[in-house]
Amino acid sequence: MDYHYPAGTVRALLQTDDVTEATRQTLTERLEKPRRQPTFFQPDEAELLTCIIDRLLPQDNPAGRIDIVGVIDERLTGNQSDGWRYDSMPADRDAYRLGLKATDESAVALYGAPFCELPTEQQDEVLNAIQAGTPPGITWQQVPADRFFEELFAETVGAYYSHPLGQEEIGYVGMADVPTWQRTKLNDLEAREPRPIN
Amino acid sequence: MSNQYSLNDTVDAIVIGTGAGGAPLLARLAAAGLKVVALEAGQYWDPKKDFPTDEVGQDKLFWNDERLSAGTDPVPFGSNNSGIGVGGSTLHYTAYTPRVQPDDLQLKTDFGVGVDWPISFDEIATYYDEIEHFIGVSGPSEYPWGPARKRSYPMPPLPINGAGQLMERGCEAVGIKTSLAANAALSAGRHQEGLGHRAACANRGFCQAGCNVGAKSSMDVTYIPLALSKGAELRSECYVTQLVKNSSGRISEVVYLQNGQEKRQKCNYVFLCAGAIETPRLLMLNQLANSSGQVGRNFMAHTGLQIWGEFDEDIRPYKGIPGSVISEDTHRPDDADFAGGYLLQSIGVMPVTYLQQMARQRGLWGEAFKQAARAYNHVAGINILGDCLPYDFNYMELSDEKDGRGIPKPRVHFTNGENEHRMTAHADKIMRQIWEAAGAKNIWAYQRNAHIIGTCRMGHDGGANVVNADGQSFDVPNLFISDNSTFPSALAVNPALTIMALSLRTADQFLANRNRLNV
Ligand SMILES: Cc1cc2nc3c(=O)[nH]c(=O)nc-3n(C[C@H](O)[C@H](O)[C@H](O)COP(=O)(O)OP(=O)(O)OC[C@H]3O[C@@H](n4cnc5c(N)ncnc54)[C@H](O)[C@@H]3O)c2cc1C
Ligand code: SF4
Repeated sequence: MDYHYPAGTVRALLQTDDVTEATRQTLTERLEKPRRQPTFFQPDEAELLTCIIDRLLPQDNPAGRIDIVGVIDERLTGNQSDGWRYDSMPADRDAYRLGLKATDESAVALYGAPFCELPTEQQDEVLNAIQAGTPPGITWQQVPADRFFEELFAETVGAYYSHPLGQEEIGYVGMADVPTWQRTKLNDLEAREPRPIN
Repeated sequence: MSNQYSLNDTVDAIVIGTGAGGAPLLARLAAAGLKVVALEAGQYWDPKKDFPTDEVGQDKLFWNDERLSAGTDPVPFGSNNSGIGVGGSTLHYTAYTPRVQPDDLQLKTDFGVGVDWPISFDEIATYYDEIEHFIGVSGPSEYPWGPARKRSYPMPPLPINGAGQLMERGCEAVGIKTSLAANAALSAGRHQEGLGHRAACANRGFCQAGCNVGAKSSMDVTYIPLALSKGAELRSECYVTQLVKNSSGRISEVVYLQNGQEKRQKCNYVFLCAGAIETPRLLMLNQLANSSGQVGRNFMAHTGLQIWGEFDEDIRPYKGIPGSVISEDTHRPDDADFAGGYLLQSIGVMPVTYLQQMARQRGLWGEAFKQAARAYNHVAGINILGDCLPYDFNYMELSDEKDGRGIPKPRVHFTNGENEHRMTAHADKIMRQIWEAAGAKNIWAYQRNAHIIGTCRMGHDGGANVVNADGQSFDVPNLFISDNSTFPSALAVNPALTIMALSLRTADQFLANRNRLNV
């Protein structure tokens, strides 16, 4: 099954008393945040990362783009950790720098051009090779490709689906918890829960 | 009322860390009239104001100083395994509170592997009863597994959710008995000593990112207010760096950082309750209590395989207490080719947590991932919580890398052994059968190990253990440890209730023996 949900659900709920003040503030700030000028990534790195992320999670929402590169750049600028890293990986900042460089090496080795210049089918093949841990390129010796893929994709997904627009896409309205949830069983929806449109 | 001691006072006891292991004994010692001070690295939150219903916004509840995860099955930390703040990891625990069964404590006797516990089930069970009634555990009037109880749970179970109904349906089809689970969350509002009124659970499924209504029985709304009302002093945002030994081999002072300033508090006793990574880390950094060479050894993490599936039914996995339904029929399976056993639990899940797990292990990305993400409202999971044996190759050490505070990062080695692989394979088969019988499609498995256990093991023999059965260090007589690090074996249940029970027991044993220990 492929489910689709109406647009605007979370944004509408943020205007109501169904969310707490703390929730409204946090989500509204995220929703309205302007696109970030990267300060950790160099312009060419940011461009390459954007090309990669556009394949990992293609964005086509007319309501706007979620600035995933901005979220990652902000974290790396502040050198913030999420509490752990694979011992086989270099420190997060180095891992991103090296992984980006290595991705372009793989693109050139496989298809003769940098990643962003490749047609999407070839970009996807490069990403498949990285995910499988078998991409060509000398720099991958410093950063394990499959772990790089996993970490990058997990962070991408976190940035996308913590954003109100990403949450609208999957029909999530759990933030509207002030009235409490009294219908907790199967197929038992409350009025504020969006129905799929298929 | 809460006291304030001066740094020049020699307090009776300092408690380091206010999680499941620290908070109960803090209250017990204060109630006995001792001068006690708790030092907690994290903040004292006001959940109503400070807790948005937003997973990223709640990142502040996790211990985010970087740890290095090594081994074949590296254990994730941060949101997966460790908390910071007054209440410790109970701020974000899911609130499952099953009791151990007596045979959990004797794997060595029954299977010839691991070690037996130095205390009996009965010694722990009296505390279970006390804790369930004090913090507020909701559960069924008749729990089908384990020894008879003195009393039933103080409150009826929380309402079942979609994942729970599906687990009931699937288990019934394959002949496995289920029960509504016991959860440390209130199915009805009630008065809490030292705090006031606590509201009933709002069924908002957000326990792992903090409860904003005070319904979840975390330490910050139970034992901490009790401790304060009995006179304990709580110092939050105080990060302990040193335990200073005097010439007679006792700890005479604890050094900590508060607002970037170094402070020293004199004390007669120290209760180290910083969790199973920070406790051994502090001991290693201070070169303390390790004549056995066992500090940091025997690191264990429960087998925790999750099976996910998509259903035709509308589930909305963010609703209801996450751990709605349980089965302990697999506690000692007849056809087991492994030692110990596991339990089965239904799982509700918050979206970012679910989708990041999917990102790491399902293999999908691009449009295929987005389509699978749009099935979130139709997703339900079940998982196991199973025993894990101690091995030589699983341990924690200090690395050469420094963290943001300039202190060596811990490196934690973890690789599942043959026993864990066999148990997980057994569970994989059963859970897939259950989920297929319940009607799941697109079933996928998330491999994981959960909870951090066992780095300062308790036992009778000081040559092979760090603390004795009362939690007292064999080397430093006025040092006690009370947290998940003292568990000799992992147990086939979620740990928090048993950590709290041991915490009260350590306090009671300490108080009973205090004269002998010479204050
Ligand atoms: C997402 C998640 C869900 C869970 N769900 C369940 C569940 O449903 N049921 C269950 O039984 N268990 C669950 N657990 C596990 C449970 O939360 C822990 O086992 C338990 O809280 C551990 O107790 P502890 O006392 O060992 O450590 P903690 O509760 O982690 O407490 C340690 C405290 O020490 C403080 N500290 C550490 N170092 C210092 C220092 N240097 N100075 C000052 N303070 C310091 C920390 O800030 C922290 O507050 C869950 C854990 C997680 C991560
Ligand atoms: S499900 Fe209940 S206990 Fe858990 S966070 Fe929500 S209100 Fe609190």
